[in-house]
Amino acid sequence: MTTTVALAGNPNCGKTTIFNALTGSRQHVGNWAGVTVERRSGYFQGPRGPVEVVDLPGTYSLSAQSEDERIAAGFVADPSVAVIVNVLDASNLERNLYLTAQLLELRRPMVFVLNMMDDAEKAGLVLDLPALERLLGGPVIPTVGNREEGIQALRQAILRVAAGEGARAGLVNYGPDLEGELLKLEREIGRDEELAQSGPPRWLALQLLEGRAGAVVERSHARKAITAQVQASLGFLEPHLGADGPTLVAERRYGFAHGLVEEVQQRSARSRLELTTLTARLDGILTHRWLGIPIFIGIMIAVYSLTFVAGKLPQEWISAGFNLLQGWAGAHLPPGELTSLLVDGIIPGVGAVVVFVPVIMLLMGCIAFLEDTGYMARAAFIMDRLMHLMGLHGKSFIPLIMGTGCNVPAVQATRTIEARDDRFITILVAPLMSCSARLQIYIVIAGAFFPPVQAALAILAMNFLGFALAMIVGKLLRLSLFRGENAPFVMELPPYRLPVLKSTAIHMWEKGSVFLSRAGTTILVGATLVWFLSHYPGIANRSWSDELHRQEAAVRTLDLPAAEEASRLEDLALAHQSRVINTSLAASLGRKLQPALAPILDPDRTRDEAWKDSIALTAGFVAKEIVVSTMAVIHQVQPGDPEDDPGSVGLKAALRQRSGLSPLTALAFMVFTLIYTPCLGTVGMILKETGSFLWTGFSLAYGLGLAWLMAWLTVLGGQALGFA
Amino acid sequence: MSHDQPKPLSSLHPGDEAEVFQVLAQGRIRQRLLEMGFIRGAHLKVEKLAPLGDPMELVIKGYHLSLRREESQCILVSEEVG
Repeated sequence: MTTTVALAGNPNCGKTTIFNALTGSRQHVGNWAGVTVERRSGYFQGPRGPVEVVDLPGTYSLSAQSEDERIAAGFVADPSVAVIVNVLDASNLERNLYLTAQLLELRRPMVFVLNMMDDAEKAGLVLDLPALERLLGGPVIPTVGNREEGIQALRQAILRVAAGEGARAGLVNYGPDLEGELLKLEREIGRDEELAQSGPPRWLALQLLEGRAGAVVERSHARKAITAQVQASLGFLEPHLGADGPTLVAERRYGFAHGLVEEVQQRSARSRLELTTLTARLDGILTHRWLGIPIFIGIMIAVYSLTFVAGKLPQEWISAGFNLLQGWAGAHLPPGELTSLLVDGIIPGVGAVVVFVPVIMLLMGCIAFLEDTGYMARAAFIMDRLMHLMGLHGKSFIPLIMGTGCNVPAVQATRTIEARDDRFITILVAPLMSCSARLQIYIVIAGAFFPPVQAALAILAMNFLGFALAMIVGKLLRLSLFRGENAPFVMELPPYRLPVLKSTAIHMWEKGSVFLSRAGTTILVGATLVWFLSHYPGIANRSWSDELHRQEAAVRTLDLPAAEEASRLEDLALAHQSRVINTSLAASLGRKLQPALAPILDPDRTRDEAWKDSIALTAGFVAKEIVVSTMAVIHQVQPGDPEDDPGSVGLKAALRQRSGLSPLTALAFMVFTLIYTPCLGTVGMILKETGSFLWTGFSLAYGLGLAWLMAWLTVLGGQALGFA
Repeated sequence: MSHDQPKPLSSLHPGDEAEVFQVLAQGRIRQRLLEMGFIRGAHLKVEKLAPLGDPMELVIKGYHLSLRREESQCILVSEEVG
């Protein structure tokens, strides 16, 4: 039989390190039912069967105000949990004991972990463990999580307590006045047996005094009596003790924590507070008035280079690998619809997913590293003023900046933002940051329609426009859809610590594999859909493919030199592709959409081929890079064009001559590609991180709307300024 | 050491020390501040302001915490005049 154990503790208490040490690599990452908070669980083997360890989100309390707290509070109260393991930071005991005071009220078997004992010792703290065990009423295990010290003892203590050994957990004494009222409340709660069975009545009574848990009582038949007693109790306590219910309860819990610390903790004579001094010294530089921001920018540049410059290499290998596979499959499989699905749909689709894995792992590794060292909180501290102006949190800055490299890991990086509203706004505006894939489109289009200096300026303008829009949209979302009470920016600045590389590695692996398994499906479905739209019905047209084969055979009979034959064959294949795509569903959709796109891409109604843009834009939904290669197909760039060397000069010339875009509409096209629906990778990630089709749909819809609006304004502005 | 009249925490300067007098904020913020240790009589010290002037870093209950001006305005403290 499996025994379930819950790991509860404050953020920054080293809980995850303890979790990793307890369970090794046998971990499972999922989501808590109905929310996007990660649920991590793992196993270790006990003599009477496996022990499942569930790592709860780190919380300061169980007051159920945030998603994290609701989950933690719900799970520790679940009867299936055999043991609650409360992890405490031994060097910061008093604040950590506040949560303990709440956990004790649940009257469940508990084990207490005093983690970071080395830090406590360095700070000159001496803890009386037997006294602590006596007062808390459960085994107290000292550990150093990052060196895996004390883990075996912890496993044994968990097994002992799970088997029913160990004293009854202690209780907080709330003082004669509160205790008296608690008893009265418990009596009223006892009138409803069902309610009294659902959890400890005293725990419910405390929550009622704090002004919470009203909803639970609302459903009870004894609600009148209970509510009347709550009123009576508060009516007595508040004037008598000079503060309201929540304050009184919090004061008594801190009183308990303080008393406990006084009793079990001594500062040794050589209390040099090394740890605090190190943190203070580092903070003296890292959050310095003048140095803080330059250092922050330096660290951002380092993270950015590591992720997107170093990450480029494995990305190129992956693309090259998929190109090889695509070429091989195209050459060796019999031509037909299934082959096309595989070669033009699935292989590039899978490639478009896998290619993100290196940057995701690198960026998540960097962020985990910054988080574990304690610098992440400082980064939020430094940037909060700026981010708050746009309705966001200091922690939103890093995801947004990383969005300029790639939106996919940027959306994933929002995980570090605790408050749901802040996180959702950041997820919704992150796709506005111009990513490096969009840069490729700008380079081709701007290069085709502008002289070099203006082209560079236009590209730069796109990046600024993206950032400015993110600010404005963020503020607007805050003022409209996320108008609820601002989550308090009450953020701990934990002491600096050396991160455990093993934890960072586990974290990177998890992020990469979770992306592949969860966002991957969305992306594949999308890629197949786009392939279908851009290949049907032409791909199934037998007479066209027969015609292609006849022409190919005819070329082969000419006995041309090998190079010329190859180039002729390529021309034929391209013409065929072009024919298929230009008669596809995407094309007819494009023709239908033309009136809608005309104001931005064809304001003078002079372009016959304007509908082709929407084919490229549809294809760009899979990955923005594809916009460029699709344009090459729809405007039939001859690989043999003399201008073809180097790079895409041929495409640029073809765009100038055949697309009918003017410099102004080309700019509008760039603006549109900046803002419209992000690529499938990002959409898959948004779906995974919001856990909601509604919000994902909203993100797509507002992107399209805003893209149209901004492109239209570009055209209007350009015309007003006299550019045709 | 004596105590001044209660005033908002936001009016304190880096290096100032004070005792919490009352949390005026309501709702979620109030509950969160109480949980983080802002209870009557709790001792705190203002460490510094962020480079852009907000938020504020302070030490309370032996750990470091940052608060936005919005929140520190809602906490009344009695400054310790040493």
